[in-house]
Amino acid sequence: MTYDPQADALPVSRPAEPGRGAAAYRIFGETLRGMKTTFGRIVEGPTTVQYPEDKAPVYPRFRGRHRLHRFEDTGLEKCVGCSLCAAACPADCIRVVAAENTPELRISAGERYAAVYEINMSRCIFCGYCEVACPFDAITMGHDYELSDYDRSDLIFTKEMLLAEPVERAPLRAAGE
Amino acid sequence: MSPADVSDYRRREQSVTLSPANEPPNRGEEGRGDHHELLTLNMGPHHPATHGVLRLLVSLEGEVVRDLKPIIGYVHTGIEKTAEDKAYWKVIPVVERMDYLSYYFNALAFCGAVETLLDLEVPKRAQYLRVIHLELNRIASHLVWLGTSALDLGAISVFWYCFRERETILDLFEMSSGQRMHTRYFQVGGVIEDIPAGFEDKLRAFIGVMPERADQYGDILNRNEIVVRRLRGVCPLGEEELLALGVTGPLLRAAGHPWDLRKAEPYCSYDDFDFRVPVGTVGDNYDRFAVRLAEIYESVKIIEQALEGLPAGPYITEDRKIALPPRHELATSMEALIHHFKLVTEGFRVPPGEVYYPIESPRGELGCFVRSDGSAKPVRVHMRDPSFVHLQALAPMVRDNYIADLIATLAMLDPILGGIDR
Ligand code: SF4
Ligand code: SF4
Repeated sequence: MTYDPQADALPVSRPAEPGRGAAAYRIFGETLRGMKTTFGRIVEGPTTVQYPEDKAPVYPRFRGRHRLHRFEDTGLEKCVGCSLCAAACPADCIRVVAAENTPELRISAGERYAAVYEINMSRCIFCGYCEVACPFDAITMGHDYELSDYDRSDLIFTKEMLLAEPVERAPLRAAGE
Repeated sequence: MSPADVSDYRRREQSVTLSPANEPPNRGEEGRGDHHELLTLNMGPHHPATHGVLRLLVSLEGEVVRDLKPIIGYVHTGIEKTAEDKAYWKVIPVVERMDYLSYYFNALAFCGAVETLLDLEVPKRAQYLRVIHLELNRIASHLVWLGTSALDLGAISVFWYCFRERETILDLFEMSSGQRMHTRYFQVGGVIEDIPAGFEDKLRAFIGVMPERADQYGDILNRNEIVVRRLRGVCPLGEEELLALGVTGPLLRAAGHPWDLRKAEPYCSYDDFDFRVPVGTVGDNYDRFAVRLAEIYESVKIIEQALEGLPAGPYITEDRKIALPPRHELATSMEALIHHFKLVTEGFRVPPGEVYYPIESPRGELGCFVRSDGSAKPVRVHMRDPSFVHLQALAPMVRDNYIADLIATLAMLDPILGGIDR
């Protein structure tokens, strides 16, 4: 092998065992230097966010709670119950049961629609594969990250919950922020 | 209680034996009595200084550690087994959750192994984007290590400073991939999405301030009398012994052996970048600390170069048998739709064979072994996790040292229990 490991080695420095004077300097001088560093930070102000009063803003790509969508003009559901999202889910937390649209009862734009659409949020790992898998942009990841509840069964989100207008609690970051 | 009543777990617990402690020193007259008695103490599983759910069975003579046995398995998740039941692309978010501080590395080890089996060329832009994210992840991981280790030594401010910078890094991850941890940004063949507008500026701003921030950590810790006393000359382990135990990464480099897979076996275009490998001299706790701190600067240098030289081009392979087709094609091209359906439901098939793909994670050599039988699911996925290997070096390091130094050494070892137990 032509690789010479020593060529790129960068030795790190070590503190020496100091003599008397140097030891005194290190005990007091270095402590003062450390304190200068910490007190110097005061002028920078806090970087924390006062959650939950102020919500931490998210980026446009943030993957939060899912949303199901409808067509804006017709009001029909975009989801056609193809179960591709359920097939893509690594946590197996999506359940889709499809049913046929009839002329009297038209729910989605395609031939079939999702009679049952459930996501078990307590299993979801927010990988976003369902969004990637859906060929009709019917499901997307929203921006809401406040999902906690008192009961596990409340974390199974039904189609109605996912279709409803989401609560926009988390502000979106402006460009360049 | 008859042996039949003892549960399986209890029996296993009782079978844990401690190797005989070293001969107690001959203290003459005053050494009589209970000084010679060994005290067996459980440290953990939920000890604040164990950096995870680790249990250490410690044999103490007074305050001196005579022997130590790590007991692991508290966060065993069965990820390797789960991976056998999933299509290749669905394994990525799963393996990312092993070592929860270096998720990009887990993903790359797995993707790299699959790419080797597929004999797939990754576009240059994807490789550079990967390097940027890997090095950001390395800094983030070292920051968590530095903050929590300083906390174990009794310095709390460093912890806040480290988490401030880590926050910026996680923001960058959120910006590019949509998630702060476990981003599943790396996919087989490249990365899932190009970086968004504004990412480069934000990254530039970050690498502009990061060296300055790292200087501040150094100012507080480098020559601080307490830190120096707690770390210098404490629990050293020589190169020979470390190599015999299979230790890699910063721990080995601290002992003066400049072994870094990014240099030794460059992957992912690491040979394009100019950086150096920090090494220590004696391999004590101070060297371990100094090597990791110096690595932060080197990572910043690599990110700088990768950002300057970021080539144009595709961010994921254009092989439609492996990568999902671009979204806009789904509405127009029937062929794209068919590929999409097939990839999502079944996934791509990988030719039979097996491969071991090692990379340099923040903790050492992280290798992924993948065995394929030609179907769309791996037969076996195994990770050689550095934390797991390093844990066996803890006992030789701390034997015959004070228990307080055990805490410091454990901090400098930087084990991540998610990676150890998998
Ligand atoms: S985000 Fe991932 S885990 Fe959650 S429902 Fe979608 S595919 Fe399943
Ligand atoms: S959400 Fe999309 S992928 Fe899932 S069943 Fe509906 S149309 Fe199919």
